[in-house]
Amino acid sequence: MSRARSNSAAPAFVAGFAFLALSACAGHSPDAAPDATPQAADGRVGYVRMEELVKVHPLYSQLAHLDEDMQALQLQSVGPNVAHNGADIAAAERSLQRELDAAADRTKKILGQKQAEYAQREQAAIAAAIGATSGTGPSGAGIAGNVARDARAQQLDAERLAQANFDAYRRQVAEQSNAAAASLQESLAERATRTLRAKAEELTKSEADFALQQVTEDAPERLSLRTKLSNLALDDDSRSDVKKQLDALDAKEADALGAMKNRDAQTLAVLREKLHASTQAELTTAVAALRKRTIAKIDARGLATREQLVAQLGVPQTGAGVAIPNGIAPNMRAKLQALHASYQKQFDADAEQTIARFQKTRADLTDRFRKIAGVDADAQASANRQLGVLAKQRGDLYSEMVAQIGREVKMVAQKRGIDVVVSDVVAPAGGVDLTADAEKDIESLHE
Amino acid sequence: MRSSFKHRLAIALGATLLGFTTFAPATLAADVTDIGYVDQAALSNIPSFISANRQLAAYKSGLDRQFVQAMHGVHDQNTQARIAQEFQNKLAVRQRDLFGPIFARAQVAIASVASSKNLSVVMDKRIVIYGGQDVTSNVADLLNGPGDPIPPVNTPPPSSVGFVDQTQIDAIPKLKAANDDFQKFQADEQAAAQTKLKAAKNDADRQAVLKDYQSALADKQKQEIQPLVDQTRDAIAGVAKKRGLLLVIDRSNLIYGGTDITSDVTSALK
Repeated sequence: MSRARSNSAAPAFVAGFAFLALSACAGHSPDAAPDATPQAADGRVGYVRMEELVKVHPLYSQLAHLDEDMQALQLQSVGPNVAHNGADIAAAERSLQRELDAAADRTKKILGQKQAEYAQREQAAIAAAIGATSGTGPSGAGIAGNVARDARAQQLDAERLAQANFDAYRRQVAEQSNAAAASLQESLAERATRTLRAKAEELTKSEADFALQQVTEDAPERLSLRTKLSNLALDDDSRSDVKKQLDALDAKEADALGAMKNRDAQTLAVLREKLHASTQAELTTAVAALRKRTIAKIDARGLATREQLVAQLGVPQTGAGVAIPNGIAPNMRAKLQALHASYQKQFDADAEQTIARFQKTRADLTDRFRKIAGVDADAQASANRQLGVLAKQRGDLYSEMVAQIGREVKMVAQKRGIDVVVSDVVAPAGGVDLTADAEKDIESLHE
Repeated sequence: MRSSFKHRLAIALGATLLGFTTFAPATLAADVTDIGYVDQAALSNIPSFISANRQLAAYKSGLDRQFVQAMHGVHDQNTQARIAQEFQNKLAVRQRDLFGPIFARAQVAIASVASSKNLSVVMDKRIVIYGGQDVTSNVADLLNGPGDPIPPVNTPPPSSVGFVDQTQIDAIPKLKAANDDFQKFQADEQAAAQTKLKAAKNDADRQAVLKDYQSALADKQKQEIQPLVDQTRDAIAGVAKKRGLLLVIDRSNLIYGGTDITSDVTSALK
């Protein structure tokens, strides 16, 4: 076994060359060897037991550790039920799929049975109620049965008509809604424009007031300056100076008014943005509310249509169907509808439990799918990859150890005058065993 | 017997390995004896070997796919082993078909070189730690040269190196029975260990399972296999001494010449 381990990295095929070569030379090879003892060649032949030398090598503990890791991995990865190959996974998945299909079929069947059962019970209850009321008239069961035969055809006609009416209503409501939205948008835009225009007028008026105020405030100074200018005795320099003062006064007023107009323009721009945003938000909200109302109207109409159908035909909800006859007294109709509602509620609750059980089954099976197809396959692939890595590490380490042992053995052989040293001998014979000497040298490597 | 262990382990560990990878211990020749050696890894680099290797690799690739399909849904270990053996046989047949003619030609080249150098035995380089004559390049030259190598006129001279065919020794009934028994024991122990591993809750538990498994195998081997191994080694040593041999190697490590003592050993063991 130890020898097997020491050579485990070498594939079995390696022996092929020697094996076939020997086959080819069997004729030469002495099965018919002479009995005469062959003379030893020149020099001496030695041998070492490589497996023992490997065990005393400083790196042996690492080699043994790798061997143990590989053995553990093999033990854990090759066993049945620990991991699955592709076909096993496919078979398991098919099996689980069959279970899932069967569960779905069972659920469907149970629901069908329950539907029929509740419909039957409801029909019986309605028949009993009608029978109790009609006294000597036709039996309740008879009435229910007769109505049931024609109910479907009436129901289909009524449904088609109701659907057509409903579609027309829906289109009409949608058009109204769109028109209302467009009108609203126009109205909001107009309001914003009005607001903006009013603000602009307000600002313009303020600017005019401001200009007038300035002129009024500066009027005495301006009058004084103009009076000076009207003096004919005024020299040129003084006249020029007065003119400059008058121009400066005009410029001051113009600048102040210009600054005010700039501020007002900014105010208007901000207001325009604000109005746009608020108008858009208001429009969005209003349109959303409008659409919500429209949908509610359509839904209400749909509900009303269904209720109308129920009122007309007594359309059942429990599947197999018990039609409530038309032309029945209002109090009886109410009683029958209450009966129907009660059975429908019971059926819904029962069916809900059945469906919940199916969903749990499906969830469990899905989990098993995941485990089989995912986890085990991953584990198998991971084990194989790890095994490959370990085998490579082991091979490299063993080669390194053997090479170092070879160098030590060579020195031992040279010391002892041995010309050829061979490892892996099958049995000791006349050769010189250098194992012990080599062991000492190799053990010294530890120090 | 040991050879069969090696074979099984090699298959288990290297199912996808292919080729002629060999270890190459550092050897420095002191060419004073009639012992030669050949580096088979180096010979496998000549063009005809490379071509044959490619063909075999392609064949094995197809065989691997068939093997995977054949193993689908098979959980029984005996059936798995049988299927694995069938595919190994197929591969071996193809290997012989491809490499047989090349090996035969190489063998003639080796014999020719050995004869010209007066070598009584040529071994695989893997087992020659020190000394001996490296004739790899001589053989490669002949194989790469024009025409077929010319076979030697004389048979190899008597050699002081003996060899045994371990597969023949393994086939001796009492050894085969012990080997089969051990294999069964190992399979049973493995199955039991796998069951325990599944129940193991932590690494410590798993380590304990593995340790017990290894210990059981070691005990069984010591108890039933080792005595037979010792007996076989003694028989080989006795025959070798009687025939005046310096050492005995396994046939798988011998390439040319040598003294075959297999029949003497099997007789001694029966």
